[in-house]
Amino acid sequence: MTSPTSSDGSAREPLALRAERVSKRYPMQGRAPRELKTALLHPRETWRAWRDRKAWVWAVRDVTFEVRRGEFFSIVGANGSGKSTLLRLLAGLSRPTTGRIECFGRISTLLELGSGFHPQATGRENVVINGLLWGMTRREIEERLPDIVAFAGLQEFIDQPMRTYSSGMYVRLGFALAAFLDPEILLVDEVLAVGDAKFQEKCYEHIERLRDRGVTIVMVSHDLPAVERFSTRAALMERGRMIAIGDPHEVVGLHLERLAATSPEIRRALEEGIEQRIRESPEALREFEEKLAEKWAAEAEARKE
Amino acid sequence: MGAVAVFVGEGRSRTLRNATELLWAMTARDLRLRYQESIFGWGWTLVRPLALGVVLYFALGKVLGASIHDYPVFLLTGLFPWFWFQSAVQMSAGSFVGNGGLLKKVRFPRAVLPLSVVLGATLQFLLSLPVLIGFVLVSGYAPDAHWLFLPGVMLLQFALTAGVSLFVASLTVVFRDLEHLVEVLLTFLFYGTPILFSVDLVPESYRWITVANPLAPLMESWRDTLLYERWPHPSLLVTVAAAVAALLLGWTTFRKLEDDFADLV
Repeated sequence: MTSPTSSDGSAREPLALRAERVSKRYPMQGRAPRELKTALLHPRETWRAWRDRKAWVWAVRDVTFEVRRGEFFSIVGANGSGKSTLLRLLAGLSRPTTGRIECFGRISTLLELGSGFHPQATGRENVVINGLLWGMTRREIEERLPDIVAFAGLQEFIDQPMRTYSSGMYVRLGFALAAFLDPEILLVDEVLAVGDAKFQEKCYEHIERLRDRGVTIVMVSHDLPAVERFSTRAALMERGRMIAIGDPHEVVGLHLERLAATSPEIRRALEEGIEQRIRESPEALREFEEKLAEKWAAEAEARKE
Repeated sequence: MGAVAVFVGEGRSRTLRNATELLWAMTARDLRLRYQESIFGWGWTLVRPLALGVVLYFALGKVLGASIHDYPVFLLTGLFPWFWFQSAVQMSAGSFVGNGGLLKKVRFPRAVLPLSVVLGATLQFLLSLPVLIGFVLVSGYAPDAHWLFLPGVMLLQFALTAGVSLFVASLTVVFRDLEHLVEVLLTFLFYGTPILFSVDLVPESYRWITVANPLAPLMESWRDTLLYERWPHPSLLVTVAAAVAALLLGWTTFRKLEDDFADLV
């Protein structure tokens, strides 16, 4: 179960992604006053910051895994477990502190839909610029534009400035754009939690189509039912480490068990047969995960003192 | 173990074509948006150098009695190119810091952020150039063969501006004060460059300022070619060297820092 290579027969497929002993640290920038005036007015904090200047937060620790072409690989874990950082490292958006990441194929990231959108510019203009940002050529974008607009259902609004859009329209255009980028490897981070249920379903259907077409997908999600439904493999992260890799049902089960171990309340809830509810409702799960994150934070605080 | 990220295939190597298309699309969008809702639109690009020209002509020409022949057009041939340089450097300083959301979420050829600012300022300059030429003609100067050197002067100023802007924008990410510092430095540079005066008016003991300043031969060249029917002074080679140095420095600084942009902005 903890073997980094897949056991479901896809091991013979060529590699899409490989992470080898990847770690990432960030400087602990708690209360360090940066401004000179603040530094002079608060000597004690300045001294503390100077003393702790070598303090680091390890967001990802020693993570090793491989994803083969055509796999749907999900990463689950509580808030602050490092899964989003890991995804950013995979996307090449920041550099690992140590370790090695290899990527074989054209990567597209669904990290935050529409992050490149400019509210004053029209929908059409934003689609073109975002497509270019993602590495498409102008002609490729123009070819896909009608499909993108149709998928987002924004035919009448595409030439309006995006500040006139509702948040739902924003997200729809963002996803439609990303959906037609034609990636070889798609990295998805929690973006599907937005938008109405109908559109979410549409997104999942599209991701399923991409998977069936052989696109490699790596998804970070709290939506455990979706993880179980779509993934071929899953991994569980805890405090920066990847503590399990394997069958999605087993990984999700382990995740729930670890959550339960953190608080008697969750344990009781699970024993009372609410597990089914947690598996089906992302909201209930999120609540538990927040409790877990709080507990870790308290532990970390206690260790420091 | 060292940190390595390897990307095989065309996944990471974006084509130059994509970068150029992105550069143009961003420049066009920003220019359009800047004046979109304003009534006077493009006219605002002219207002700053013209207004300053009027004020300076009054203060220096009339009140202090600067003895420069055709002072109004002399001022304008310095102010128009200066505003091109100044606005490009000033606005690109925050171009990485101000686009943190983008840098964190998408991997794209990041140099297009400051370069699109530079390109935008260049286009604005080119669009205001007919007005400047108009002033030159109205003041009684006729086009001659020396005007053929103008594209060279422009290209040189473009290269210098691009290098400086890329350097300033990259360094601002790690040293935020630079954005404010640049404003002050540009003020010094404005008075240390022959814009309000010509080099030969500078007292001998201060001449080193204009010798050390690569913008000085550039500004003189604008006037030599546009007004004085002269080829640029050989000291323009200093500017050529400075432009090459600025491009190299800007590019290496950018390359060295760009991988950490997402963590720092």
